[in-house]
Amino acid sequence: MSGKGLYILKRLAGAFVTLAVIATLTFTLLRVLPGGPFDTEKALPEEVKANIEARYGLDRPVLDQYLSFMGGILRGDLGESYKYVGRSVADIIGEALPVSMELGLMSLLVAYLVGIPLGVFAAARHNSAFDTGAMLIAVSGVALPSFMVGPLLVSIFSFGIPFAFLQGSLPPALWESPAHYILPVLTLGLRPAAILARMTRGAVLESIHQDFVRTARAKGVSERVVLFKHVLRNSLIPILSISGPLVAGLLSGSFIIEIIFAIPGIGKHLVQSVTNRDYPLILALTLVFSMMLVVANLVVDLLYGFVDPRVRPEKSGAGG
Amino acid sequence: MTRFSSSVSQWRPWALDVATLLSAVVVLVGLVGLVGCTGRRGDRIALPEGGEAVLAKAETLKVNLTSEPPTLDWSKATDVSSSKVINNIMEGLVAYDLQSEELALRPALAEKWSSDKAARVWEFDLRADVKWQDGVEFSGQHVVDGFQRLLAKETGSEYAYFLFGIQNAKAFNQGQLGWEQVGVKLLSPRKLQVTLEAPMSYFPHLLAHTSTFPVRLDLIQKHATKWTEAGNLVGLGPYRLRAWRHDQDLLLEKHDGYWGNPKPSVRYVHFLMINEASTALNLFDAGTLDVVDQIPITERKRRRQQKEYRRVGMLQSLYYGFNTELAPMNNAKLRRAIAHAIDREKIVKILDGGEVPLTGWVPPGMFGYFSDVGLEHNVEKARELLAEAGYGEGKKPLPKLELHFNTNEVHQSVAEAVQAQLRENLGLELELKSAEWKSYLDQLKTKPPHVFRFGWQADYPDPDNFMNLMTSYSDNNRTRWKSTAYDALIKRGASETDREKRREIYREASRLLLEDGVAAVPLYANVSHMLIHQRVENYPANALSRFEFKGTRLK
Repeated sequence: MSGKGLYILKRLAGAFVTLAVIATLTFTLLRVLPGGPFDTEKALPEEVKANIEARYGLDRPVLDQYLSFMGGILRGDLGESYKYVGRSVADIIGEALPVSMELGLMSLLVAYLVGIPLGVFAAARHNSAFDTGAMLIAVSGVALPSFMVGPLLVSIFSFGIPFAFLQGSLPPALWESPAHYILPVLTLGLRPAAILARMTRGAVLESIHQDFVRTARAKGVSERVVLFKHVLRNSLIPILSISGPLVAGLLSGSFIIEIIFAIPGIGKHLVQSVTNRDYPLILALTLVFSMMLVVANLVVDLLYGFVDPRVRPEKSGAGG
Repeated sequence: MTRFSSSVSQWRPWALDVATLLSAVVVLVGLVGLVGCTGRRGDRIALPEGGEAVLAKAETLKVNLTSEPPTLDWSKATDVSSSKVINNIMEGLVAYDLQSEELALRPALAEKWSSDKAARVWEFDLRADVKWQDGVEFSGQHVVDGFQRLLAKETGSEYAYFLFGIQNAKAFNQGQLGWEQVGVKLLSPRKLQVTLEAPMSYFPHLLAHTSTFPVRLDLIQKHATKWTEAGNLVGLGPYRLRAWRHDQDLLLEKHDGYWGNPKPSVRYVHFLMINEASTALNLFDAGTLDVVDQIPITERKRRRQQKEYRRVGMLQSLYYGFNTELAPMNNAKLRRAIAHAIDREKIVKILDGGEVPLTGWVPPGMFGYFSDVGLEHNVEKARELLAEAGYGEGKKPLPKLELHFNTNEVHQSVAEAVQAQLRENLGLELELKSAEWKSYLDQLKTKPPHVFRFGWQADYPDPDNFMNLMTSYSDNNRTRWKSTAYDALIKRGASETDREKRREIYREASRLLLEDGVAAVPLYANVSHMLIHQRVENYPANALSRFEFKGTRLK
């Protein structure tokens, strides 16, 4: 097996252990958390509650429950939701996750298409008015919480405040047509775009001083090629590093955005399943999100090798 | 550095910027064009059996359901979202006359009913001309199946206890007795007899509740857990379930073969699931939603001026309970002093939503409401009682008490108001603590604090539903207050068939609970705030939050 194949295999084995530990920890924490799934405002008579708990196997010893939960995961059976009667957890995630991923992918696109060029131009025109302006926007983008940006965009583009001519140009919520996508995608994409812009600017500023840039210029290479081929490629490492968590984070949905824009995604479930103590759903979501994070980080680590030969896994080993 | 900067300025970055800007504009224009060309998917909904429903504005009522219904299986549903849908798809043996003063019962699937003198054996005559939405004839067996399914251990229904009043029903629920020993019998396909454990004058009320509605076992067997999905679900009500996109929306269409009256007028009821109240308001303002039934506190003042604004009193009371076993709250005089020191008028003023101050236990708008029961605001009396309880100068130092509530801005402001009032009126210090909902419920069950916030919303508009809470055997009595006299009164009230005598029994029980025992202090009855578009006529805004759209029309 090639070095890269072995490396991936090792990483996957590591990921498997990580996920098993996460599953165990989540399971334990849920049992420690006060309040159970069937504690309701209108208290149930003990015998009625016992019937319900028996129906979901909650009357068995905790170790038993743990083993059958882990066994279920290995078989790919995530169980049935406690809150949504008769709906399997796999169905719930299968319906909601694609929506969040759609939103996340579009926001990622916005983030990279806006963030990276903005960062490169700001760096290239270091200390200019453009640089200052771009970074001002970037800092605001990082600082402004989405629960402010969302409603702000809604009042401008849906209700025309203060620009009356914009009234009704975009719907204030729901997820039904491309027109509905624009505001949530912008709201969700703004922050990562800002982060990327700042990181790109910093990285580009660093590599723009390097000798090979001067060499390239001395060879008469056009400035555009210098900037986007030589400088940017050498500035990609820090951008890649944050891309792992960024991609996983955006694809797994955003509770706030989904609530503000009434988007039927997965972010809402992550929060509400905990409030509902919907054990199977919480456990499954935790695993899905962990898996996305693990995979995204693995992909990023592999990409390092393409960007910078010095960190290619064959050479630096599994630790690299 | 200087050299580098000058070299950068040679490459004319503006040229690049302009090129990028231009391409960005092209992309944006393209996007907007794409948006313009794409029709809104929301006006057309794909149906599970193929084809699609086209929702014309003039024949579609758009309502916010707030959240995904946890289930449309009426034997298991317990929440408002689910019952909003179920009450349009299904009907029970009896229903409510929502226009009547104290929400009287009216016939539905049962055309008449009667009981023996003791109100222990009940008989229901079922209508003959009723068909399910798939054309199958409705029969008494469907009612029996509904009761049996609700009570069966395997169903694991939360509301199984609703029918525990039926003879042997509880033992059946625990698997100790067979169904044939339960007091439910079909005397003929159209005549149902129910025998109760003990007399219960309000028994028919239970049959207006979704959990006791008839079921079709053949369909449940055929589709298993999927019998509630669109395409499978068959009801007896004025509307049919046409589409259900989970977590997104749900579509009802009027059923032309509906047996009851009035016949539904609006063709489609389109439920959206908008969790956030301010988002729902935005959609109302944008003309997408016809009705919103939640208005955030910060918006109320402004919205009250709107012509679409409606306020509806609810059968929901909020109270502060005491843990009567935990010192020093085991001292009834201290509890009484606190009750007298609370000024409900001020609290309601702070909330500023039209809530109704409440001294009695049953909220206004239903049988069993008394305006002259309970401890009124009286600071002088409060101080006297505090001294009698052994606190004050030369006596025991004032205790420091804990007041707990579940995290919520309304509960927080009420708690702060009460804290200020007790400090000012009695010099008593309250420490406020809030907790997340499920943790809070767990705490109230295992270790209730000195004072805690709680509430109750009517399952059915009969005083027993409220008064029963505080019996020594109720799981909802979190105060640990026990009174055999109170228990006896509640049992007597349940069996009394003379309305006026019953009223007096509940008056006496309320006095015992609130003036003598002071297990709790009622604060106010809640109201709901709605915006209803002018084009909607006869929207079912009522105290029971029972949303039946068959009488609703669109202008």
